[in-house]
Amino acid sequence: MEAIRKVLEKYDNEYVEDYKPTWLKAKFTNPNDLLSIVQDLQAEGIKTCSTVSPTDFIDENKIEVNYFLEDIINKKNVWLKFDIPRELEACKIPSITPLMPSANWHELEAYSTFGVKFEGHPNLRYFLISADYYGKFPFRKDFDWKAHEQNLIQNIDEITSEWLDEYEENEKTLPKDGSKTILHWGPTHPASGPIRLKVGVDGENIQWVDPDIGYVWRALEHLVERKDFIGSIVAVERICFMDNPNPMICYSQAVEEIAGKEITRFAKLMRVVLGEIGRIASHLISMGGFFGNAGLHTFVMWTMDVREYFLDALEEYSGARIATACIEPGGVRYPLRDGWLDIVQKAIEKYESSKDEFFDIFINNPLMKTRAVANAIISKEDVVQNYMAGPIARASGVKVDVRIDEPYAGYDEIEFDYVTCENGDIYDRLHIFFKELDQSMDIIKQAIAKIQEGIASGEMNPQKDHLVRIPKKLPAGEAVTRIEWARGEILMHLVTQEKATNPYRLKIKAPSVNHTMVLDELLRGKTLSDIPLVYGSMHICQGDLDR
Amino acid sequence: MLVDIIKKMIRVSKSMTEDRLATKDASKDFVHKSEIFRGKHEILYDVCTGCDACNKICPVDAIVMKPLPLKRPNKIPEVNLAICIFCGLCEDVCPTKPKALKLSGGTFDMRAGGAHEAQDNFWVRVDVPQDWIEKKKEEERKKAEAAAKKKAEMAAKKKAEAEAKAKAEAEAKAKEEASKEAPTKEDNNG
Ligand code: SF4
Ligand code: SF4
Repeated sequence: MEAIRKVLEKYDNEYVEDYKPTWLKAKFTNPNDLLSIVQDLQAEGIKTCSTVSPTDFIDENKIEVNYFLEDIINKKNVWLKFDIPRELEACKIPSITPLMPSANWHELEAYSTFGVKFEGHPNLRYFLISADYYGKFPFRKDFDWKAHEQNLIQNIDEITSEWLDEYEENEKTLPKDGSKTILHWGPTHPASGPIRLKVGVDGENIQWVDPDIGYVWRALEHLVERKDFIGSIVAVERICFMDNPNPMICYSQAVEEIAGKEITRFAKLMRVVLGEIGRIASHLISMGGFFGNAGLHTFVMWTMDVREYFLDALEEYSGARIATACIEPGGVRYPLRDGWLDIVQKAIEKYESSKDEFFDIFINNPLMKTRAVANAIISKEDVVQNYMAGPIARASGVKVDVRIDEPYAGYDEIEFDYVTCENGDIYDRLHIFFKELDQSMDIIKQAIAKIQEGIASGEMNPQKDHLVRIPKKLPAGEAVTRIEWARGEILMHLVTQEKATNPYRLKIKAPSVNHTMVLDELLRGKTLSDIPLVYGSMHICQGDLDR
Repeated sequence: MLVDIIKKMIRVSKSMTEDRLATKDASKDFVHKSEIFRGKHEILYDVCTGCDACNKICPVDAIVMKPLPLKRPNKIPEVNLAICIFCGLCEDVCPTKPKALKLSGGTFDMRAGGAHEAQDNFWVRVDVPQDWIEKKKEEERKKAEAAAKKKAEMAAKKKAEAEAKAKAEAEAKAKEEASKEAPTKEDNNG
């Protein structure tokens, strides 16, 4: 950490300070230093960009660009800040994509939503929003949503004609003879979900893949700004339906940090239990979905059956199965009712009675193995370079897990270790989920034991301890929190202003962005029949890809 | 190997004779029902105070406040279920006891008068009986009268007090003046 601090202090700065045990936070005065700072940091081992998050301070007429850079091996992270002018012509900063490829799509996103030009980016284009998006740069504070909506209603025909233009263009540019063409995988392909992969093929050999995303872009980061601190949970939880509780944990932690409140130990352990239930529910879909993508739908039915038991537990706790809204700033939303822990126990037993069959028939399936083993390998270097997160990284043998690296909620009390696989091929990316399920069951059991102990000894009151009050108005401040989501790290950057009743800016970094970014690299040279398998093995969810 | 195959065959044939798992029609019956299932709202017009808290917190603006010709509640929530996301925040903030607006424990059957006939089917409307309004109005009038009376009484009392005070003050002043005057007279005399 000291070496990194020295590097940062070399450049003109307003401050360099410690932030949490694993972070250094620094604000610099000259945006043109960015590239040399990043180069120096790379020499110190910080090789990965988690995300880029601009904040529009319209009153001060500036945009503050935040970079979150990580050394995922040695767990040393830095948070860099630069001020740049707000006017569109002057709103630019050097692109770090040539140095850190993991920043690629994050810079595109920042450009499309805030209009920050990243100079030197290999292909700066509109992303998430379409090229004819009316009014441009929707996350700027002065963006006129009403006018945008008006325009959308009036010109809907012209807007949709962009598709036809693209087809015409292809007609012209593709050679008439030969077998080269462009195929669209999705957005209505049974396995794709709302994403379109433009696949350039020669016969059935893939030459390039260009993912077209944004089909389910709901501008969640902006929606949050319109709600109060409690109401925001319903926007945050809608990142993805598969693992519902965890994003709310991340958001709530950020609010608690700014409010300066500590939650009770009971609430922390409840967050562990609920978070792991979410992870299990998500993993079960992911595993089933993998086979679903490959065309075998039996396994989805089997995993969904087990998943229902965990959803029962969520429903018993919160009253809803999918969008539970069960965690809010200050703790967990509902008291613990008698018998709930037994329902969780029952769900775990259900899984444990089925898991041998899961393994025998599906995970160990010889036909699947022939297609998956040693196919589309992600090496450790790729993980660091493109920031593959969570299970995808662990499948390649990289030890990352925010629950251990930067313990939050009650995870510091729980004993567990990184689960990893060796090879990083498609098979491992499926197998890792199976392994992690076991780990999650174990974590839940430990947490439940601690809760029961605490209740028996009178330390915890399950009826009262679930929430501490968070004031309606928060002071000015900002916080960065991370959690280990079912499919990797979620990082949230929350900014509030003095006497705020709603968030000023919330940046949500979700893992599927990077996992989609590498599809091109993974699929080049493969055949069409590999697409569903590779795509399924990245466990991409469009919900958190677009947000 | 052979044992394995036989085992598997037995397992498959067994499962063929098992009961089907799906024995319930989920469109009519709950397969699993939690006591606090967040379903259709129930609104108690005689408990609600019209405080507007539920309307303010609703993250998707599903609540519309219907005005009532009363002082309290002067408006009462109605919920558009086509917009509502069943987050339950409105129930959380409702300050009354019992909750004037409740959705936990509510039903999942939200069709009113046939499916999809009109958007209007998806509203939780509150029928406030006219005679209840009249009764409440009457009560309010009486209350207002009583309050007015009390106010008038208070005012009269205050006035009387003030008058008494003024009188007392005037008297005191007169006395003072009298006593002031007296020495001057004496001085003059002296
Ligand atoms: S449940 Fe949520 S969305 Fe529905 S009316 Fe209440 S606050 Fe609004
Ligand atoms: S239902 Fe409850 S929160 Fe809503 S106006 Fe009535 S008393 Fe207030």
